[in-house]
Amino acid sequence: MTVQATTIMPSDTTTDELGTQSIPAIKAIDLCKIIDDRPILNGLTFQIETGKCTALLGANGAGKTTLMHILATLSSPTAGQLNIFGKPITRSSVATRREIGMIGHQSMLYRDLSALENLIFFGRLYSVDKPAVRAMDLLHRVGLADRAPDAVRTFSRGMTQRLSIARALMHHPKLLLADEPFAGLDVPSVLAVEQLLADLVEEGCTVVLSNHDVGRTLQITDHVLVLHHGQVVLDTPSGSITELQITEQMCRGPEGMGST
Amino acid sequence: MNKTFFQNWGSLVYWFLTLIAFAVGVWLVFAVVPTEETMGPIQKIFYLHLPIAFNAFLVCTVTFVCSVGYLWKKQGYWDDLAVASARVAVLLCSIVLLTGMIWGHSAWGVWWTWSPRLTFSLVLWLLYVVYLVIRPSIEEKGRRSLVCAVYGIVAYLDVPLVYLSVRLMPDIHPRSIELAPEMTWVLLYWMLPVVMMTVGLLCEGYSVQRRVSEQQNQTQYATRQTATSIHPTGELT
Amino acid sequence: MKTVLRQLWFLVAKDLQIEARSHQTLGLVTVLGILILVVLGLGLGRQELASGSSATAVLWVAYLFSGVLCFEKTMSVERQDGALAGLMLAPVDWGLLFVAKLIGNLVLLGTLVIIITAAGVLFLGFNVMAGFWPFVIITSLGMLGFAAVGTLFSAAVSSSRLAGGLLALLIFPICLPLVITSIQMLLSVFRDANEIDSSGLAILIAFDCIYLVISWLVFELLLEP
Repeated sequence: MTVQATTIMPSDTTTDELGTQSIPAIKAIDLCKIIDDRPILNGLTFQIETGKCTALLGANGAGKTTLMHILATLSSPTAGQLNIFGKPITRSSVATRREIGMIGHQSMLYRDLSALENLIFFGRLYSVDKPAVRAMDLLHRVGLADRAPDAVRTFSRGMTQRLSIARALMHHPKLLLADEPFAGLDVPSVLAVEQLLADLVEEGCTVVLSNHDVGRTLQITDHVLVLHHGQVVLDTPSGSITELQITEQMCRGPEGMGST
Repeated sequence: MNKTFFQNWGSLVYWFLTLIAFAVGVWLVFAVVPTEETMGPIQKIFYLHLPIAFNAFLVCTVTFVCSVGYLWKKQGYWDDLAVASARVAVLLCSIVLLTGMIWGHSAWGVWWTWSPRLTFSLVLWLLYVVYLVIRPSIEEKGRRSLVCAVYGIVAYLDVPLVYLSVRLMPDIHPRSIELAPEMTWVLLYWMLPVVMMTVGLLCEGYSVQRRVSEQQNQTQYATRQTATSIHPTGELT
Repeated sequence: MKTVLRQLWFLVAKDLQIEARSHQTLGLVTVLGILILVVLGLGLGRQELASGSSATAVLWVAYLFSGVLCFEKTMSVERQDGALAGLMLAPVDWGLLFVAKLIGNLVLLGTLVIIITAAGVLFLGFNVMAGFWPFVIITSLGMLGFAAVGTLFSAAVSSSRLAGGLLALLIFPICLPLVITSIQMLLSVFRDANEIDSSGLAILIAFDCIYLVISWLVFELLLEP
């Protein structure tokens, strides 16, 4: 498996010229992940700019969640190099984890604790100043202030998802990884979450977002990365590409990769 | 094709030699070595019992080393060898238990007593039987190898502790046996066929296991590929 | 160091808070333990129990089975909504997650042992006062090793969506030296009215040290978001 990804990506030299003022939030070089002797990620090389909202697209099984887990330092790549905010990542990069917030498929909350208790607990683990104040701020922001003392068990899917976003934001992360944050949400909740993410980008947070709705994603992101069979097949600004082109890439990928 | 033929041929020769070594061993035991006075002919089981017990420890060590190897390198073949060695360990432990029980029956008239030695063999057997029986319960292959590797390490560290703990139990085992010089060298000779058998079983078990897991990989990979390639465009837009 | 201790305290407090809120573990586990005592007590009959030699073994059976259930329950709290991934994302050393879980389990296990032993005194006529301090020392050392092995394998098993039997299957054989040693020591204390056996004590301490260290080292390998 030594197929190189043929991608349209900003070359390193141009980044260096521009990159004097900002280090890329994520820089991955030849990232590989092999699970059960089969390659899930197959030599990913890409770069995510700081302060941008980047979409990670791909069909089911293309390696999005695996990549998200690696970016979140939850699992380590089999080979390759990963820098987050210029620092190399190993499995025990405790300090770098402070910069990263993540929204996953699951809520990552304790259902027997109340919304406020959950936020305070996670805030304390990150040594957040005045966790109770910060937690109430965020609850206001995601519109759950009136449900603060209720157990998460009693929340609807949309409310849980909003709370899980608040959980991810407790420690003011500079990089937010959102793995399908809209899954299972109704339209009003989707809009609310989109607005939240847009505000975050406005505030200077780097957001990496994976999603199934290609059209919507193109509208709300600055940049797209398309994965296919564990390789980057497209790396381009959102404005320069249409939904149809992306869908084609997601379904086909580079020549010869379909039948391995 | 040619290679497999020679491999099969080679293993056939190997097993034939092992059989001869066993036959010579049996001849030595029944024709050359004097019969022990107090125990009678049943004492001859000792020539099988001791080398097998010794080899059982060696094989457990192989499982341990492979488990460490797997945790370190995360490569499937370490796990395959660990499984093969655990199988052999269970087999050898079973033989040790059986021969021990036969000995016990002739010495004390009961098939089982909670003597330290017998308890020790039983616990060892249990430890490695569990290694084998938990494997099918864990579906995902990487996870299974990981859990089993951890278990393999933990179980091996348990062996000396089991040995120490059974010594607290009341003992009726005969401690030292006076060995005639012929007995010693026949015993040493018996190490040869037993080691040959152990190594042979390990190799055969490993190649079988390797083939099985390679097949599993291929089928899993194939299903994954079809699952990702047949994707209705409608769902993505 | 100070932040590490603070984090440890928050992790343990969170476990205990959830337990206090839901009561799902302790209630289940103690009732199971008492049930086991009753079943075995009925099976053994008055004469065996009066001799004082079987009560310790019966108690150990109850500790082991309800302990395994306890480990399973405390870990399933983390797995329910992927909360474990939340912990792993936090700037916490993953070994610390093991220590926190171990302490939480030890608190529950301690409560469990007290309740079950009290039930044993009541139902089995177990005279714990005949050797109270030896009993406390032996049982605490035993439970420490048991909790170390149990916490380690609870991380291994609960992610594999497996039935409860498997955890017991993994833990029991490993804990056999602990069981053999503890029961032999308790027998010598309660039946033969001897002093505490120092070589047995050494084995218990060795077991605890080995498994605390190895579990702490290996635990993070078994963690999986």
